[in-house]
Amino acid sequence: MSMIDIKVAAVEQVTPLVKHFTFVKQDGSPFPAFSGGSHVVVSMNVAGRVHRNPYSLMGSPVDTGSYHISVRKQEQSRGGSVFMHESVEVGTSLQITYPVNLFSLAKKAHKHILIAGGIGITPFMSQLVDLNRLNSSFELHYAFRSPEHGAFATQLKTICNDKLHCYADSKGERLDLTALLSKQPLGTHVYVCGPNPMVVAVIETARNLGWPENHIHSEQFLSPGIGEPFKIQLAKSNIEVHVPAEMSMLEAIEAAGVEADYLCRGGVCGRCEVNVLESDGALLHHDHFLTDAEKASGKKIMPCVSRARCDRLVLDL
Amino acid sequence: MERGYWIRSKPVYTSLLWHEKATSHLVVAQSQGGMAVLKLFQLMHPKQAITVLYMPHAEADYSKTLIKVVPDGLQLLETEQEVLAKLDSVLHGMCMGMRLYIAGSEDFMWSVAKVANKFGIEDAGMMKELTGTLARPIYCVHCKATTHGVTTNIGECSGCGRMLFVRDHFSRKLGAYMGLMIDAESPGELPDIEEIYP
Repeated sequence: MSMIDIKVAAVEQVTPLVKHFTFVKQDGSPFPAFSGGSHVVVSMNVAGRVHRNPYSLMGSPVDTGSYHISVRKQEQSRGGSVFMHESVEVGTSLQITYPVNLFSLAKKAHKHILIAGGIGITPFMSQLVDLNRLNSSFELHYAFRSPEHGAFATQLKTICNDKLHCYADSKGERLDLTALLSKQPLGTHVYVCGPNPMVVAVIETARNLGWPENHIHSEQFLSPGIGEPFKIQLAKSNIEVHVPAEMSMLEAIEAAGVEADYLCRGGVCGRCEVNVLESDGALLHHDHFLTDAEKASGKKIMPCVSRARCDRLVLDL
Repeated sequence: MERGYWIRSKPVYTSLLWHEKATSHLVVAQSQGGMAVLKLFQLMHPKQAITVLYMPHAEADYSKTLIKVVPDGLQLLETEQEVLAKLDSVLHGMCMGMRLYIAGSEDFMWSVAKVANKFGIEDAGMMKELTGTLARPIYCVHCKATTHGVTTNIGECSGCGRMLFVRDHFSRKLGAYMGLMIDAESPGELPDIEEIYP
């Protein structure tokens, strides 16, 4: 996969847990333009092991001079977010993929309801630029733990004015999803990015209020879970790969020198899907891509986030 | 037509079924479509608000039965123009959660769909049941006129008079099948014209 060599031009501590990074290209040339909601995968070398994490681009899609991402330091980090927080500073060189958009705005929508929880605000930062430029009707509902954790709230106020609605959990402010979604005009689309319970709540509320599926949009990157170590056989490459507890199958496959396809590395896009040729145990599916039927069939797996509990697992790679 | 061949753009219609999560229902039907509406109410009379717009036709008129079955929310209209104007005004007051059901000829259904599109209701958000006739709306790729109710494999364009071959290729935006001049290379030489969309 072709990568872009970048260096870090600025680092800003935005909240106690969130840092904002500004990237410029190593060779000083402009970045490709992107559409609101896009992400890039940042590749980092953490103590000799390559981590690749997806982050939403949060700058203006038309600003090709620099890219902006924000990283929340995860309590149960496998190393990526801690590395970004503790080891990356102005001047650090990194590699990123070209932008990919799995969370784009619906062009035919008459109104957009954006719902963000915590660090889930990032994909909306670039979408807001598009919405303002197109003079689209929208509302942004942003929930966070407490005012000190409401990253970019001041900046958002300037961009959104009265279209911004903030909810600080510490002050007992709650977003009433049913009230919000039951009185929207025809042609409204809803978008949610945030912690899993919030994403599920928005999807379920909209469905229960009769919203068609194609008016409900969500993005939620998963980080590969830590699990039991296991072994896999790669049929085409004819090798056996050991997957350690805190490494994903995809990472282990890559570390073994086998090139596997990927895009989001967060269980969303479906690009890394691989056929399971044989298995004698349970496949632990963690992705949001395969249907329940596909997961139950045991014939496919997304190696970026899923694992297995078995003695023998043969993949078509 | 080659067996097993199917153009993906050709719409697939189903039988109308209530959407159980809908917060209100809007049913628009014409002629034989009245039977599809009666079948819907046969299944259940939902507790949410219901609006039914029905246009009877010389070929089929289910008005009397509909008045009995749908005592509230039924509006009988005489012409397609009246249906579309009423639809426009009804949609103005509606919210997300409303589900739209359409039954009738393809001409009628896609005229209704065009009004619904203006309100941001996308194709996937409407349920359609084809009733009564297979007659097709045809869009002339030469003069851009739409000819309604074409029942034959080749039809005369209402705009420019060209003889058009009726393709299976369908445009949801235009609400019509593609029509191409059949005798462009040898004027006047026409294959047999047969009724295949009665």
